[in-house]
Amino acid sequence: MALVKTLANLKSVQILTNKLAALSVVQQNGMSMYPPYYINPIFKKDAQVELFENGEAQKLAHIPTKAALIDQTCSIYYDDDIRLFRNYIMRSGRKSLARELLDKAFEKVKRSQLEKFHKAKTEEDKNKIVLDPREVFHMAVDNCKPVLFLTPIKRGGVKYQVPVPITEKKSQFLSMKWLIEAATDKERTVHFPEKLAYELIDASNNTGRVVKRKQDLHRQCEANRAYAHYRWS
Amino acid sequence: MLKVVSKEVLGARLPKNIRALCVATHSQKFRTSEDKPSYHSSSNSAQYYKIPQDIRNQLFAHGGIPKSYNIQTKSFAETCLMVREPSLDIINCIKSIDYSKPVNRFVLYGKKGSGKSLALAHVVHYGLETGHLILHVPWVGQWMRYCKEYSNSELKPGNVDINLDAANWLVHFKTQNAHVLSNADLVIGQDYVWSKREKTQKGAHILELIEHGISRVKYASSCVLGLCMEIKELSKKGKCKTMVAIDGYNGFFYPKTRVYTEKKEMVPPSKVTVTEGFLEVTKFDWNNAVCVLTVDEIASAKEDQLSHMPKYLLGKEGFEHLDPFIPVAVNEYTDKEFTSCMEYYRERKWVQPAPGQDEELSFLSGSNPYKLMQICAGL
Repeated sequence: MALVKTLANLKSVQILTNKLAALSVVQQNGMSMYPPYYINPIFKKDAQVELFENGEAQKLAHIPTKAALIDQTCSIYYDDDIRLFRNYIMRSGRKSLARELLDKAFEKVKRSQLEKFHKAKTEEDKNKIVLDPREVFHMAVDNCKPVLFLTPIKRGGVKYQVPVPITEKKSQFLSMKWLIEAATDKERTVHFPEKLAYELIDASNNTGRVVKRKQDLHRQCEANRAYAHYRWS
Repeated sequence: MLKVVSKEVLGARLPKNIRALCVATHSQKFRTSEDKPSYHSSSNSAQYYKIPQDIRNQLFAHGGIPKSYNIQTKSFAETCLMVREPSLDIINCIKSIDYSKPVNRFVLYGKKGSGKSLALAHVVHYGLETGHLILHVPWVGQWMRYCKEYSNSELKPGNVDINLDAANWLVHFKTQNAHVLSNADLVIGQDYVWSKREKTQKGAHILELIEHGISRVKYASSCVLGLCMEIKELSKKGKCKTMVAIDGYNGFFYPKTRVYTEKKEMVPPSKVTVTEGFLEVTKFDWNNAVCVLTVDEIASAKEDQLSHMPKYLLGKEGFEHLDPFIPVAVNEYTDKEFTSCMEYYRERKWVQPAPGQDEELSFLSGSNPYKLMQICAGL
């Protein structure tokens, strides 16, 4: 009986791997409207100048290139992660609203950090406080990135939560998503930017709900380490 | 070595404005240690000066600094104003005014967010320093568009009172003029009969009138009206020097208000009791006084914010009321002012220094002070 089961398991694994292979062929460039051989644009002015100077531009001249996105600018304040985060905040395409909300959150971060800065008595304490809201944001996102996550895999009719390693991109996505979810989970009277600012500062100090959520996930992964081999067998 | 030199320079008894200049060149160019507006000169132009906390509490505890800038001062942990051309001009003019001649009216005008209210705040500070009696209305729009309460007037049938706001203003007036009101010469020139039992007699101190308005809120509007008249009379007699400072003066002439009668009919500003008092003190027919007014688009409804020019904002009636006046334009930051502002922001850690920052921000904001403040908030 057990043998039959293992055989069945083997078969299903084989089917699964086949399926995965098929998927990987189809999903090479996800939902992109561009064929896969299109390269990403270089939209920053100084980067373009550099390309011309070291002759790279000649090589790229005839490779089909994607158009730059509408919110990719040459501003000194352009930041790819922040652009991504803004787009994750956005609902129903209201980008200007998303931008407004994020800017307000950054303002709140800055104000509360400055308040702490002026309250701090010693120079040492003052130096510890990060005043740049963008830096706070990057620290927060970094602190909330998980290194493992759980994926359900069916074995013998039972779904097991199997810990698997996570790609850089997905872990960044989860981190940002959790931050936004934590900020939307609030009382009616509190505004989103206010709560987001609070969560960002908390996460940048490696405390708070989002960091706890990450640690909970890690704990769960640790607890389910016995299932880890289901990933390949 | 430098320090020693500067101390020696300071030790020698130089005139105060030169002393301030020495300190400024030795430390930072965007700041001046001269905190007395009467000593400000064109050499201080585009520099920030700090308003001491006690003066701030006296002058602007109940308004006078716009809300958005008030929040900034909290984050900066100090109240600083930039010495700019318009306010310097007005202060220089006031210094050389002949007070026995009819009142001069200065009208500050400019686009939204160009710093009219803060220029006015600077002038008001000068007024306090030189011992003027200050008749300062922080924002007329507060009365005409966002009044807390309205009721039909008892003393003036047909008029509408905004008593809560009027009482608030009386408190504001009282705190602002604590330095002048101790003067025993300021007495009332006529009897005020409020009701059968309540009256303020001729010869009583002006404080009694103010106290009555504050304690009997029902009569606050009429008290404000009476106070304006009394101050006018006192100035004429030479008992006090008066500075009238009104922000959003065109609000008194903009026909659409949010003040209603008990039948829910819209009341024009001319029918609001307090208006009469402030129109009276902005006339030219008295002396020993100076008027500094601002006209602002924001005092009118959004659909009527077509131009920032005084003639449009005041309308025919208002323009004729003020004519002749001295218009003072408040423009966007000049290059010097812009760099000074950015230096200040950086010093206050409001903006982190980055190469090419000034150029980009001046493009984005169009050098408009308020826009610059908003853009820098999220950086």
